[in-house]
Amino acid sequence: MDTILISAGYLLDYQIVLAALIGVTWGIIGGALPGISPSITMALLLPFTYTMEPTAAIVLLAATYVGAEYGGSVPAILIRTPGTNAAAATVLDGYEMNKQGKAGLALGISLYSGVLGSLFGLTMLVLLSKPLAAVALSFTPPAYFALGILGLSVIATLSGDSLIKGMIAAVLGLMVATIGTDPVTGGTRFTMGSSDLLGGIAPVMVMVGLFAMSELLAQASDRGPSERVKSRPRIEFPSLSLAKRLLRPQSIGGVIGTFEGVMPGAGGTIASFMSYNEARRWSKYPDEFGKGSPEGVAAPETANNAVAETALVPLLSFGIPGSNSTAILLGGFLIHGIVPGPMLFQRSGEIVYGLYAGLFTAAIGLLFIGMALLPLCIWIVNRPRAYLNAFIFALILSGIYSIHNSLFDLSIMLAAGVVGFLMRMLKFPFLPTVLGLVLGYLVESSFRRSLVISGDDYAIFLNDRISLALLCVSALFILGSIGKRIWDRIRHNEQKTFSEGTDG
Amino acid sequence: MINSMLKMAGVALVLSTAGTANAQQYPVDTVTLITHSSPGGGSDVFLRELSGYLAPILGVNVVVENVRGGSGAAAMADMAQAPADGSRFYATTPTFIYTSLLSNPEYTYEDLEPLVNFFIDPEVIYTATDSPYQTLDDVIDAARAGRGVWGAANPASLERQALEQLKAVTGVEAGIVSHEGGGDLMINVLNGTLDIGVGEVQELQGQLEAGEIRLLATFSDARLDLFPDLPTVQELGYDVVVRKFRGLAGPQGIPDDVVAAWEAAVQQVLASPEYRAVYEPNNLRAAFIPHDEYVEFIDNFATETATFLRETGVIE
Repeated sequence: MDTILISAGYLLDYQIVLAALIGVTWGIIGGALPGISPSITMALLLPFTYTMEPTAAIVLLAATYVGAEYGGSVPAILIRTPGTNAAAATVLDGYEMNKQGKAGLALGISLYSGVLGSLFGLTMLVLLSKPLAAVALSFTPPAYFALGILGLSVIATLSGDSLIKGMIAAVLGLMVATIGTDPVTGGTRFTMGSSDLLGGIAPVMVMVGLFAMSELLAQASDRGPSERVKSRPRIEFPSLSLAKRLLRPQSIGGVIGTFEGVMPGAGGTIASFMSYNEARRWSKYPDEFGKGSPEGVAAPETANNAVAETALVPLLSFGIPGSNSTAILLGGFLIHGIVPGPMLFQRSGEIVYGLYAGLFTAAIGLLFIGMALLPLCIWIVNRPRAYLNAFIFALILSGIYSIHNSLFDLSIMLAAGVVGFLMRMLKFPFLPTVLGLVLGYLVESSFRRSLVISGDDYAIFLNDRISLALLCVSALFILGSIGKRIWDRIRHNEQKTFSEGTDG
Repeated sequence: MINSMLKMAGVALVLSTAGTANAQQYPVDTVTLITHSSPGGGSDVFLRELSGYLAPILGVNVVVENVRGGSGAAAMADMAQAPADGSRFYATTPTFIYTSLLSNPEYTYEDLEPLVNFFIDPEVIYTATDSPYQTLDDVIDAARAGRGVWGAANPASLERQALEQLKAVTGVEAGIVSHEGGGDLMINVLNGTLDIGVGEVQELQGQLEAGEIRLLATFSDARLDLFPDLPTVQELGYDVVVRKFRGLAGPQGIPDDVVAAWEAAVQQVLASPEYRAVYEPNNLRAAFIPHDEYVEFIDNFATETATFLRETGVIE
């Protein structure tokens, strides 16, 4: 209750409201562009948040995520090309509705389901995050080490079809994380005499390079013609009787979205496909699915917006980013010297409450901005890709350069872009690299610090109760994932690789 | 008309110089003080406050500039190549010695000439209020009986050096745990992971007022005005004194008249009641060190630090 009252106060802060509305607007446009995932949309903004006030910066990024999850459904419905991976399930019935001349209704259902999903997800975020803050002070160095290990264990579940490739990608991130200053002695490592490398490589440069720059390179190498939107639909909202019918798929989407959002490594794509399946199973009209069922749009669109909110639970409470988008958001926190995790609520409570207020504003703003922005989205989707990409390239370069006015930063970003492009070609997932990069320092410094405390006695990791519990959970994660792989191998099942590439 | 305006301008100019310049004319009109900390950081705030009080005494404009990068490496390079005419100085803390020794930058403290010192920030030892340690002796005894766990904010820092020295003079067994800044250290003192932590009084103010921590001793050479009951580490019988200096350094070959002007001005500004009202509540201890002594002081400090880093295996 207190949380709601305190957060409500931030609704009067014009900076937060403005950041939320700009974020949603930017997110819808970015999400509507095929190939530009929510994480890329956020990564493009990241450099510009350096000079912003921290709360507004975080709200801007989180609101972008919310907007992008809706924006992805626009091209999914209109040109059968999902703007984001999480909108792929929306294509199934959304495009069918479009063919039947009901594009406006499909967009309207997608929009208001997104708003409902956001509000439901936000409620779950507020309820689930707070209790963890209570144990914050009892997090000792061994507990932080175990927390980092838990974060890294997620790699096992999100490595797509090849665990080996996931591990290689993670080690790459861990290696980059060792550059800079040694956490215990304070000596320098792998800086090759360059004073630019003393502080290590900022995750921002690597994230922007891996996600955004490599996407531009990939698009430049793809010369196929792109689809154009020919119709001029206007958003329509469903009648009362249809709205009642949609409540059930929306509830299913909300619950599944919450569950998948809280679980690191799952993400919006799995959530939207799962809720599509469940909505069909529980529907009174299962035969309509695949032939333009409004329920088939409502369920996945509620789910992916619920994920956009609840994915913040592991990030805020533990500092573990479970998806690309939340990894970028973590980058936004780190830029301002704020480390999400157990201490966040005590040290920077105002940011959490401001974020809640901003997310609420974003959810409400989504309804109106989504309606107003539809013609602009269609116009942008119809522009030749080359022009758009040139614009995005200029945005990336100027954004990164403006952080420290440093050409060195630019070269790091470009190098990461080339590495990212090669990783795409060879089908290596990005997220393990980013996890390794952002968690590597935490894991290493907490591990070595713990051993200094215990006098090189490894039992400290088992004697600390929080550490022991977290390590057990990590072990379950890894064993479960390996067990599932073996099971699938035995049954010769084709694995679905949702978390590959640029998944939201 | 034009003539009378020129006259007035002339009068104004004479008035302004008469009002500001004290004894001698300082050789340049504008002095730039650079810092490696970002706007709003510790050294930056210190300089910006100081510049307002210093300008009228020196009779010049004082400008603060942030030269960031490489924990002072960029600022040292800037300063080593600056003209030695008194127009540009670098606000130094022990960081510039540590960076010189740890990172092998192109220009180090040896390429600079220390000017004068302003302040010494006191470093104190603290523990959680609910910890069993009432005095520093309790902590040392506990470490002698078993093994102590002591915390410093950063790996290569003066605070860690102070604890390593304390460990050496007492000969006890203690793990010295470094952190990522004072906030991380504070948590581990409060949750009982560490016996003690070391920090500047300024950064402990919040927890002190909330009654969450207890001070045990100060590493300064004399007791602190704000905590007259707090013993120094030295008077408890452990011969360790730590001086976290705040002063200025310039390029090699600072002219004598510039040095003289600064020595006079710094003593005057530190004694001025208006400036004292600003720095004393912040626990900054005025510690003017004249040029000749300061060059020697920095040299000794660097030698001691290099020895410490070598003994702890950080550098070869």
